[in-house]
This record gives sequence, C-alpha cells and structure tokens, in this order.
Amino acid sequence: MKILLTLGGALWRALLHTLPTLLGILLINFLLLQLAPGDAADVMAGESGSATQESLAALRSQFGLDQSIPMQLWHYLSNLAHFNLGYSPRYGASVQALIGQRLGTTLTLMLLALLFSLLLGIALGMLMARWQGRWPDRVLYVCSQFFYSVPGFWIGLMLIVVFSVKLGWLPTGGSGTIGADLHGWPALFDTLRFMALPASSLALIYIAIYARLTRASMLEAGAQDYVRTAEAKGLSPWAITFKHVLRNALLPITTMAGLHFGGMLGGAVVIETVFSLPGLGRLAYDAVMARDYNVLLGILLISSLLVIITNVLVDLLQTWLDPRIRSRR
Amino acid sequence: MSLTRRQLLVYAGATTTLLQLSPRFSFADEPPVRGGTLRMHIAIEPPILVNLTHTAGATVYIAAKVTEGLLTYDLDLNPRPQLATAWTVSDDGLEYTFSLREGVKWHDGQDFTADDVVFSLQTLKASNPRGRATFANVASVTAINPHLVQLTLSKPAPYLLKALAACESPIVARHVYGDARPETHANATAPIGTGPFVFKEWVRGSHVILERNPNYWDAPKPYLDRVIVRFIGDSAATVAALEAGEIDISTGGVPLSDIERIKGNPRLSVDDRGEPYVNSITRIEFNFDNAYLQKHEVRTAIAHAINLDFIRKTIFLGYGKPLYGPISPDMKNFYSPDLPRYAFDVAKANQLLDEAGLARDGNGVRFKLTLDPLPGPETYRRTADYIKQALAKVGILVTLRSQDFASYVKRVYTDRDFDFTLNGMSNLFDPTVGVQRLYWSKNFQPGVPFSNGAHYSNPKVDELLEAAAVETDVQKRFALFAQFQKQVVEDLPDLGVLTLVNPVVYDKRVKDFFVGAEGLGSNGAQIYIKG
Amino acid sequence: MNARRSPALRRLLRNPTALAGLIFLIAITLLAVFAPLLYPGDPLGMEADALLWPGQDWHYPLGTDALGRDVMAGVVHGGRVSLQVGILASLFGVLLGLAIGAVAGYFGGKVDYGLQRLIEIFQTMPSFVLLVALVAIVQPSVPTLIFAIGIISWPTVARLVRAEVRSIREREYILAARSVGYSHLRIIAHEVLPNILPTLIVTASIMVASAVLMESALSFMGLGDPNQVSWGSMIGSGREQIRTAWYLTAIPGLAIFLTVLAFNLIGDGLTDAFNPTRDRASK
Repeated sequence: MKILLTLGGALWRALLHTLPTLLGILLINFLLLQLAPGDAADVMAGESGSATQESLAALRSQFGLDQSIPMQLWHYLSNLAHFNLGYSPRYGASVQALIGQRLGTTLTLMLLALLFSLLLGIALGMLMARWQGRWPDRVLYVCSQFFYSVPGFWIGLMLIVVFSVKLGWLPTGGSGTIGADLHGWPALFDTLRFMALPASSLALIYIAIYARLTRASMLEAGAQDYVRTAEAKGLSPWAITFKHVLRNALLPITTMAGLHFGGMLGGAVVIETVFSLPGLGRLAYDAVMARDYNVLLGILLISSLLVIITNVLVDLLQTWLDPRIRSRR
Repeated sequence: MSLTRRQLLVYAGATTTLLQLSPRFSFADEPPVRGGTLRMHIAIEPPILVNLTHTAGATVYIAAKVTEGLLTYDLDLNPRPQLATAWTVSDDGLEYTFSLREGVKWHDGQDFTADDVVFSLQTLKASNPRGRATFANVASVTAINPHLVQLTLSKPAPYLLKALAACESPIVARHVYGDARPETHANATAPIGTGPFVFKEWVRGSHVILERNPNYWDAPKPYLDRVIVRFIGDSAATVAALEAGEIDISTGGVPLSDIERIKGNPRLSVDDRGEPYVNSITRIEFNFDNAYLQKHEVRTAIAHAINLDFIRKTIFLGYGKPLYGPISPDMKNFYSPDLPRYAFDVAKANQLLDEAGLARDGNGVRFKLTLDPLPGPETYRRTADYIKQALAKVGILVTLRSQDFASYVKRVYTDRDFDFTLNGMSNLFDPTVGVQRLYWSKNFQPGVPFSNGAHYSNPKVDELLEAAAVETDVQKRFALFAQFQKQVVEDLPDLGVLTLVNPVVYDKRVKDFFVGAEGLGSNGAQIYIKG
Repeated sequence: MNARRSPALRRLLRNPTALAGLIFLIAITLLAVFAPLLYPGDPLGMEADALLWPGQDWHYPLGTDALGRDVMAGVVHGGRVSLQVGILASLFGVLLGLAIGAVAGYFGGKVDYGLQRLIEIFQTMPSFVLLVALVAIVQPSVPTLIFAIGIISWPTVARLVRAEVRSIREREYILAARSVGYSHLRIIAHEVLPNILPTLIVTASIMVASAVLMESALSFMGLGDPNQVSWGSMIGSGREQIRTAWYLTAIPGLAIFLTVLAFNLIGDGLTDAFNPTRDRASK
C-alpha cells in the first residue's frame, strides 16, 4: 500500500513537473508541422490520382484544415483537455483507437530489446571488467564496438536473409501469426518468435552501450573502500561482484536505460519498416508523410508520457538499489 | 447461346493460341478445388476498403472481393455481368437500363435491390472524386422495379459502360448507410457487400482478413476459404517473405531486379501483364510556365537527348512497352500506332538547342533545370538520375530534387514551383476519364493533384477531347483520339517514357487470379489453390 | 593548455586501438579530400556495364551498380558527403548545445529553468521521428541534413555543458574574473570552455559517429540528397538489390561501419587519455 502511494505520488509529481514539457512538445510540433509543405488533403487527393476543387474542399473541411491555425490548435487542445486525442479522417478512426492498436507491438518490441540489451550488455560488461586489460576484455571490446557501429537496418536485413530465408527458422516480418487466434503460452511463444529478430536488431547498439557502461562503472565501484573491506573480509570475488559492485554499477545503467527509451522509439521507425511491424514508430513515420497531424501529435504525446513514466520507474528502482539516495530524500 | 460453325472455329483457334501463350490459363481440363487460404501481399496499405466517397489506388485489390459492381470486364474490356445480368443502351446514348441479379443478399442477410444501386450511383456522382466527372452527364437514376434500374443522361457518355467495375463504382447497401453522411461512414473501413468474401478484420499496418461468403450468388464459387491481405512496405522484406513462403501472391512490391532471380525459384512464377483497367504509364511532364521549356525546340531537344530505350532496358529491365504518345499502346481501342517519333540523337538535340540561341557557357552549360521525380519508386529515382546524366551531355544542367509525396503534390500542382517532373499516371479504362484531365486546358486547375500540370493549352486539342467525350460512334471516336494523339506528340507537353507494369509474383499453386481487365483487383471468386 | 594536452595526445597515440582508428580516419579523410583528383568526373556518371561484381573488371575494382556507376568512385566521393554531414552536423550540434548549455549553467535562475525545459522537450521526443519530420519539412539536401541532425543532437551537449558550467561557476577564479569586470562571453570563452573541452571532444567524436549512422538511416528511408552520392544514399539505392547484388549495400555499409568505429575508438582513446587516472585507480 505504502509502495503504491509512493509510486502514485512520484508519478503525480513527475506529471506536474513535466506538464510544461508536454505542452512544449505539442506546441513545437504543431507549429513545426504547419511549416511542412502540403497538407493531408493534398496527400489523399494525390493518392486517389483524381480530384476536383470540390473534392479537395470537402477533404479539407473533414480534416478541419479550412479553419485558421489558432482555431485548429484550440480545437486540438480543448479535445485533449477531455482526454480525446482527436480523429483521423485518413484512417477513418479515432487516434486513441489507432494508437491502441499499435502500442502493444511497439512496447513489446522495445521492452524485449531493452531486456535483451540489459542482460547481454551487463553480462558482457562484467566479463570485460573481470578480465580488464586482458584479451577477453579486448575481444569483447571490439565486439561491442562492432555492435555500436553497424547500421541497425542493415543488420536487420541480413538477419532476415540468414534466419528467415536461408534457414527458415524465424518469420521475415509481422507481429504474430495472422488469424491464428492464440492464447496463453502459445501466444507468448508466437510473439517471441516474431519479435526475436527485430528486438535483436534494435538491441544491438544498446548492448554495446550497456556493456561499456557496466565495465566502466564496475571498475570505478571496484575501487571504492567498501569493496576493499569486503575483499579484506575474504568474500569470494564473484560474491563481491554481484553483491556490491554490480549493485552500484546498475545506477548509471538504469539512468541511461531510462533516457534511451525515447531514442528506442525513434529506432523503432526503421526496425518496424524492415520487419513490417504494425507499430507506433511506423505509424509516426506514415503520419508525417501523410501530414496526419492528429495522429503524429497523439503519438508524440503518448511516447512522451511513456518516457516520463519510465523515468519515474527508474527513480524508484534507483532508490531501491542505492539506500543512500533514499536517505537523502 | 448458339454459335455458327465459323464462330466456333474462330473461338477454338483463339483458345488454343491463348493456351499456348500462357499455360496459366486453365480450362475445363483442370477443375478448380475448394478450400485454402490465399495470402496476398500489397505494398501500400490503403486508407479505405471501398472507393465510394474517396478513391485510392491500393484499395482496388481488396475492395472488389467484398463489395461488387454492376459489371466486370474481360481482358479486352468487354463488359460482363456481375450484379447486373443484362443491360441496354439507347441508340442516342442517353438512356441506360440495367437488369439486376435476383436472389442476391448482402453480407448482413438483407436483400440486394435497385434502391441500393440508385443510392450508390447517386453517392458516386455526388462525392467520389472521379465519379463526379464520370457520372456528370447522368441526370437521373431511377428504380423502375426492385430489379431494374434506369439511367437518363443529359449528354452521351461513351465511357460510362466501362466505369461500372466494383473497384471503380462499388455498389453498397443503402440500409447500412441510412441517413448518415457517407463521407465519414464506418462502412468505408469495415465494408458490408454482396461479394464472395466477407470482411472480418483489419489490423492497421499489418493485414486484412476476408472470410468466404457461404451464401454467394455464384455457387460453388468462391473456391477459397479465406483471403489474408498483408501490407509490407519494404521491398527487400517482401522478397524475403515470398521466398520464405509466407505470402502466395504479391503485386507492386518486388523490385524488378529481384524478379529475374525469382524466375529461377521452382515454386514461384511471374505474371507481367498490365491491368487493362488501369493502364499505368510513366512520363516526363514539362512546365509551360518555365521560360526555357516554353520553347518547342527545347522540349524537342530534350526528347532527342533522352534514350528511352536505355531507361526501359536498363532501369525497368525490359518491363513495360515503349510509349510514344499520351495513350498507352495497351488501350487497343484508342491507341494510334502511326505517331511521329523522336529518335535518340544527341547531335540533333545539340543542334536544336544551338538554333534556339541557347549557347554553352565556359563550363559547357546552356541553362539549368530542376527535375522533380515522383517520390517513392526506386525506378523513378534511377530514371531521374539517368535524365540528369543524359541532359548534361547536351548542356542542360539538371538538379534533382527529392521530397516526400505531400511536398511533391504541393510543389507541382499548387505552387507550380517546378521545371519538369517525372511521374506516373493511369490512363484507366477510357481516355476521356484517364487521359483528358492531363491535356484539357480547362483542367488546368492549380491546387488539384494530377490535373493538367504542364499548363498545356491548345484549342484544337480541347476541341478534339470535348468532341470525343460525347461521340457515341466507335470509329469516329477513335479518329478523334488519333488526331489528339498526333497533336500532343507534336506539341510535346509531356514525353512518354514507357508503360508501367507491376509484375505479379505468385506461388505456382495459385490459379486463375488474372482472368479479367481488373487483374488482381477482380472479386477473386474464381481463384483457387491447387497442388 | 599545451602542457596539458600534449601528454594526453601522447597517451592517445600509445593506445593501439585509438591509433588504428586515427590512422584509418586520416586515410579516409585523405581519400575524400582528394576524391576529385582520384576519380575526376561525376561519381553518379553511368559509364560501365550495370551490376559488375567486385573483381569482375579491374577497371572497376569494387564493381558497378544497377546503372553502371563505379562503386569505388561512389565510396570515395560518398566519403566526402558522409564525413561532411557527420562532422558539420556534430559541429552545429556542439555549438548549439554549448551555447544553450553555457547560458543555462552560467546565468542560472529563470533562464536556466526555461532552457532546461527546452532540453527536456528535445530529450523526451523520439529523436528520429523529429528528424524525419524536420527533413520532410525542409526537404533533403546536404545542408538541410546537417541542420536537421544538428537540431536533434544538441541536447546531450547542452546537458553536459550546463552541469560543468554550474559546477565551476562558483569557483574562485571565475569569481575573480567576474570581479575584475570581464564580460560574460569572455569568462565563458576563456575560463569555462577550456575546462570542459576534453569532455566535449569525446562527446563530439561519438556524435560524429551517430550522425553518420543517422544520415544512412535517413537515406535508407528514402530521405537523402539525390544529387550527391553518400554512403547512406548508396545503401539506399542498392537496397532493392540486397539479394541479387549484396555488395552494393555491403561495401558502403562497411565504409560506414569502419568510419563510425574509427570515431568511437578515438573517442574511447580520448577518454582514457584525458583521464589517465581512472583505469589505474582500479588496479
């Protein structure tokens, strides 16, 4: 109960604190998008390949584009105040529904990628720190540099060629077996099968970052006094690593992971394109191309909220990891 | 139907030729099989599933499987019955009657009647971007009885009978729409129709699922149990999915360079026929408001400087036919074969530019132009790359501009801030519907996409187009269009590059998917999977 | 200054991986600089047979693409654009971040609060989505790519600079400079900047790496400059042939990979060189 209250309080504070940020994001993007050449009606009329002045005017009025820019902004914000993200005439659906349909795929992709990169990154970092300066450190260092320097979309395409086309082990794209209607464990297994390649492609760069971060902070933490004390007490090196060093090393990593959440959604645009995943990143890209601003603003809003929630969770995690932060509060 | 012996022979002869030409055509020797799921791929996800109040190119591949039209068309664009079983056109071309199929039910169980047809045609005339023009001459649509509809026209519309396919003029259920505004009605994204397949679900960004309609009027069709339409935008991913056997048939998503390789795959095959209902072409359109391109010599010089054969063979790898004028050679009823041609001749191009007084400066540059290729297809980007190189050889320095689709449409058609552009266009099923809009001076309408972007204006051409639009005599109409083509090729408001085909890559077990003018955009009742 | 930097440089040169990165980078830069001499003429020129494989015709050692353009010439000329975009975009980002971070940290108070919110805004938004939107608005060309990538990469620098400036602005020598009446700009430029230079250099080297990657990702999505060949645009135009002619994407991909790797290795080497005590402490 107390935890829940703390969590709720932290969330609330974070929200209040970030309200200006959210508003800023909406305003900046709304105004930015006004600068883009062409509007949603141009795109729809262009796609249809035939249009008349009347059909264009009808489209513009459907999108509310016949109103002045301040009026459009006012409509958007007043809708938002009623927790309504608006309607997309292009998709013939509410923005909530559109985002709702896609959020799951993107969240699964991002969480899997995060989990994968954290596990592998920390493991690699520990190994590197353990054998610091010797050949395993060097080899793993080069590996992590490789992960960090290779374009994610290229690796994605190569993974498809190897694992889907040549070996036939994993599907080439999509987010699940279409029309299979699975539940429970088979559904989970199905999702994992479809997400394995995209999540790996997305995780690659972060594996490198976490590995190097783990290595650095473990070396730093290893030099602290309490570790020396523990060593003096005769604890085994692995016990020290796990109990003291890793715990401290996790602090900067969790901070970074929180920061990376927003970046990952950006990376998801490319990965979702390569693996034809029906996710938010791809929707955002399509929305930019189609000048469907309600959808784009909705996605930016939801993803910003996600980033904020992640940061709150990271804060809580850090309190748990480091008692010193708790006492400071 | 009784055939004379002579007719029978001709028919048999044609059949044998067809069989020899394309072994895909299966006749009675190979009975269709029931069952199975067709996994179809299209590259672009359409915004809607019925082209009623709005039209979108990709919609046609899904729409007709759920929502049908009055007519369908054979490969030579002759009308065939679908929801209409018989039709008559008065001699003056002003009165059309359609007898409707009886016993047809909508997917929700209600009866299909003349009221639905009246409602659909009226809505198309009122709010479909193309329907507004196609049905402009239709003064009234009336239900004579529940199975007979009459159209009265103010002026003849010789193209009307070709415009009644499901993908072009869908027949929707009046009771579903009720009194709601059709523009925002949910039927556009979750359609109820009379077609062989029932709409089940649409997961945006991923797929559409259609299930077999057990009460379809044309039993025992449809043969398939289910159609899954998948949307994959990335071409490399599409090819991978085809090779991994995750999709059975794909249109528009496979790069031409991969098609040659796929032909070596024992499981897959390629059909590179263009759809007679669509007739896509690629062309270079000149802006007459540009000081250089206004000059006829300059446009002629450009026509001589570009090796269209190179584009067709190297960039389009031989897919598509040479295009010498505004009308695709696939439109056999309208195409005029004896048009003047501009041979690839760099010396001639240079000579023309010299004569026009456009001398080269110290760097060998006569003048500069910017080319805006239609964004999207890789082939267009490459063609633009080539045009830049080719025109450099005659002293025209070309800058390429890349932009997204919205910016392109705005730039070319609203702002008119362009010199020349490379784009694609559909000639559709009739030149009055698909071609006239690009050359008719009255369709120079800034702000309207894919109108007369050249700002081309020739009273003679206008006259020919307007006369052809109401000419009911087939021979006379052909003559009018032949004159039109000759004049346009002479004036060069645009330069035809080639006809565009979207080769269909398919699993060899999929049969009978291309039997009519609509190609893959047919209702799909006849498709079956065997082997 | 010099006394501080040259041992750092010496340490950098003694680090084998960093040295390898440096050598590679110098080589690729020379290639890029002398590209017009090595491969005169337009690298987009279509001269040879299409789709020659590497080694098939030694006149075109890395083969030709679907239009018969020399891949080797493309790689050499493409390096110019990729490096230009990478370096200039990072420079733009660093300068912007430096200015905003320094102002926020130095003045504090309301200015700081406002700028911090701005930094937060840019760090909360998914940067690649913003990048796509920016490029869609300004339309892809080399200068606009530099501008757009710079716009999304400044916040990291700004945060860093702000924190550093805050931590040193109350120090005695700064207070002293202030009391003497030096202008804000002078204090920032002469007293604050040198202190944060090492961190900045390291950050900048990593920023160049990610800018090169971003340019390639944008080109992959079809948002590159069509008039100039870059490694990203080579991947973009070769990706349709990823199955028939994989070398068309692999070769520029390798060039990107090696260049990014070089920048990262140098960045790591610089970190070690500027903080010689860090690793030693743990031993």
